[in-house]
Amino acid sequence: MSEQTTKPNQHARPAEQSADDLLKESLKRCSPETIKAALAFRQSGDVSLVPTVVLGIIERFLEPEVVDTLKDGDDSVKFMEDLGMDSLTMFEAIMMVEESLGVSIKNEELWDLRTVGDLKAFIAAKLSGVEVDAKAKSYPIEQIAAVMPQQEPFLFLQAAEIDGPKAKGTYKISGKEAFLAGHFKNNPVFPASIMLEALGQLGVFHFLSTDEAALESVGDSIFFTGADGVRCSRVCKPGDTLELSVELKRRRDPMVVYSGKITVGGEKAATAEEITLIVAPAEETPAKA
Amino acid sequence: MGLQRVFVTGIGIVSSIGNDVQTVVDSLRSLKHGFEAFTPQNASIPSQVKLAGTVKGFDVSSPDFEDWTLPAPYRIRRDVMRSLPPHGPYVHVSMAQAIESAGLEEPDISNLDTGIYTSSGGSTRLIHQNTTRLHQLGPMRCPPTGIVASIAGTLSFNLVAQFKIRGNSCGFSSACASSGHAMGFAYDDIALGRQKRMFVAAGEDLNDESLLPFSGMRALSLESDPALASCPFDRRRNGFVSTGGGAVLVLESEEEVLRRGVTPYAEVLGWGQASDGHNVAMSHPEGVGLVEAMQRALRSASLDASQVDYINAHATSTLVGDLSEGRAIKEVFGKQGHGPRVSSTKALTGHGLSLASALEASIVSLSLKERFTPGSAHIRELDPEFEGVNVIRETLDEGPRIALSNSSGFGGANVSLVLKKV
Repeated sequence: MSEQTTKPNQHARPAEQSADDLLKESLKRCSPETIKAALAFRQSGDVSLVPTVVLGIIERFLEPEVVDTLKDGDDSVKFMEDLGMDSLTMFEAIMMVEESLGVSIKNEELWDLRTVGDLKAFIAAKLSGVEVDAKAKSYPIEQIAAVMPQQEPFLFLQAAEIDGPKAKGTYKISGKEAFLAGHFKNNPVFPASIMLEALGQLGVFHFLSTDEAALESVGDSIFFTGADGVRCSRVCKPGDTLELSVELKRRRDPMVVYSGKITVGGEKAATAEEITLIVAPAEETPAKA
Repeated sequence: MGLQRVFVTGIGIVSSIGNDVQTVVDSLRSLKHGFEAFTPQNASIPSQVKLAGTVKGFDVSSPDFEDWTLPAPYRIRRDVMRSLPPHGPYVHVSMAQAIESAGLEEPDISNLDTGIYTSSGGSTRLIHQNTTRLHQLGPMRCPPTGIVASIAGTLSFNLVAQFKIRGNSCGFSSACASSGHAMGFAYDDIALGRQKRMFVAAGEDLNDESLLPFSGMRALSLESDPALASCPFDRRRNGFVSTGGGAVLVLESEEEVLRRGVTPYAEVLGWGQASDGHNVAMSHPEGVGLVEAMQRALRSASLDASQVDYINAHATSTLVGDLSEGRAIKEVFGKQGHGPRVSSTKALTGHGLSLASALEASIVSLSLKERFTPGSAHIRELDPEFEGVNVIRETLDEGPRIALSNSSGFGGANVSLVLKKV
């Protein structure tokens, strides 16, 4: 394996090649600053170099037309939505980050890294040895549908994020919901009762996702049992995205109580002082009609 | 409902004898071969192979796909290229040409009635590259697209995703008969009304790893003169010349042809297949499987042997393979007093393995449309074994009306396709 230059069709990695050379080879399509920062990081372990390395690696995988989105954007730039990266591109970039910075990222950690800021903070925390903040955990629709007793066409939650006692979620009113044809005639308005239902569903999702025992024991025996102090203040129509949020107020088995709020584009649409769910243990579940 | 009629409405070709349909036709008319000197890219591999049917204008020789280049105006996005084998760019370009020549718009391509059958041997080069890396650096340092880019179904995975195919899809793997099977089953799907339109896409790498193992089988010619190296039916033939490339055909039902108002290249009348049950690599000396495949093809097309006026032979220029095909042709045609013209266009293109049948079905479709019969090049002395077979040595300015295209693969798999002038 000594004639590495004459073996262009093999990934020859001879032992005599230095670690720096290997890194330069891996980063060969990154900007010179990125390579320099990665090499310097190897020497110093200086965490302030991390953003340069991480952003340089991300940039190297982007199609030319979105490079400016990354360069001009801040930490809120989303990998998939804003930069058009798919999960395979994320794997490619992460593999290079791992190699450059000597960290390793687990698959389940990868799912939570949605923005440039997420990734930078995550790597910096890893490197400094600090436990990663218990940050909000995001769930895509597939994961939501897998745990929820409610399903299409009666699932009013498309994405959710759980952060301790709080949960946020979204539901975009498509206009194709069957009930809109009759609510109202020639004037589709998302019913207030369904808005309340959506908040209840977010509460159910929070409950099932934060109480590991709950998922096993309650299955589909969790019911909406009460709502207090409900106010609706905005008409919601097809095209609107409901921004749902609930917060756990108290839990006294078998009751769980949340407060809830809905906004559309930041504008208040509905509030509920209390939404009460009742959790029936599996063996006491009444026979379903 | 009876069987739907099936037509070839689009063709795309990237081959040693041309990267577009017109250049391929010109090469066939003037008997211009596509061979160039071959030396292994890895110079430390001892090799006596001196020629290959090279694909011009593309450079896919680097282990790093981001170095690959395509001829203008073609471009492939990075996130598409990364999951392609080295023959992927050939097939992508062929696909683009086929779509254009068939006049298909995106809604014609992405719907439940349009499918794709593919054939490719995968990429032994990429498998080697990835497994070498696996052994050296472990799985977490291997490209995440390594498997989908290299295993035998790679063309299906890539093309279905890239072209948003929603109908039937499947990869065929019967070595040198692969794309013949893909054509045959695509025909069936349309004839039976299961699909309205099918793409048949085939491709092969051309590199050390794809080519040299055939030299170990003693199947390649070691001649340096193209005329001596690839000379099917010649007395001194001694092996084939390897080639790579891509070919894509669009098959459509009569209904679709009429609805879209397009002029097809040819009609597919039917097909047949049968196996030798004889040897893992060599064809049966009497070509028993191919005899049956041709007879079944004729029955499927409701034709009598006398109605066939051209056979594009599989003949690769190996001693045994050409001989058994010659005997099979004599059995089905000569013995009944019929002498359809016979030629092997592999004398010019080289043998493209999984690509061969789709490339030759394209060539036959072009000969039906453009009214010529390609000659069998490089014959200085016809092997007396082929006396009674009407091998034509020059391209004729007269096209066939009904033609067969034969293919035979390892294990004695034989396919014969029937095409008719429109």
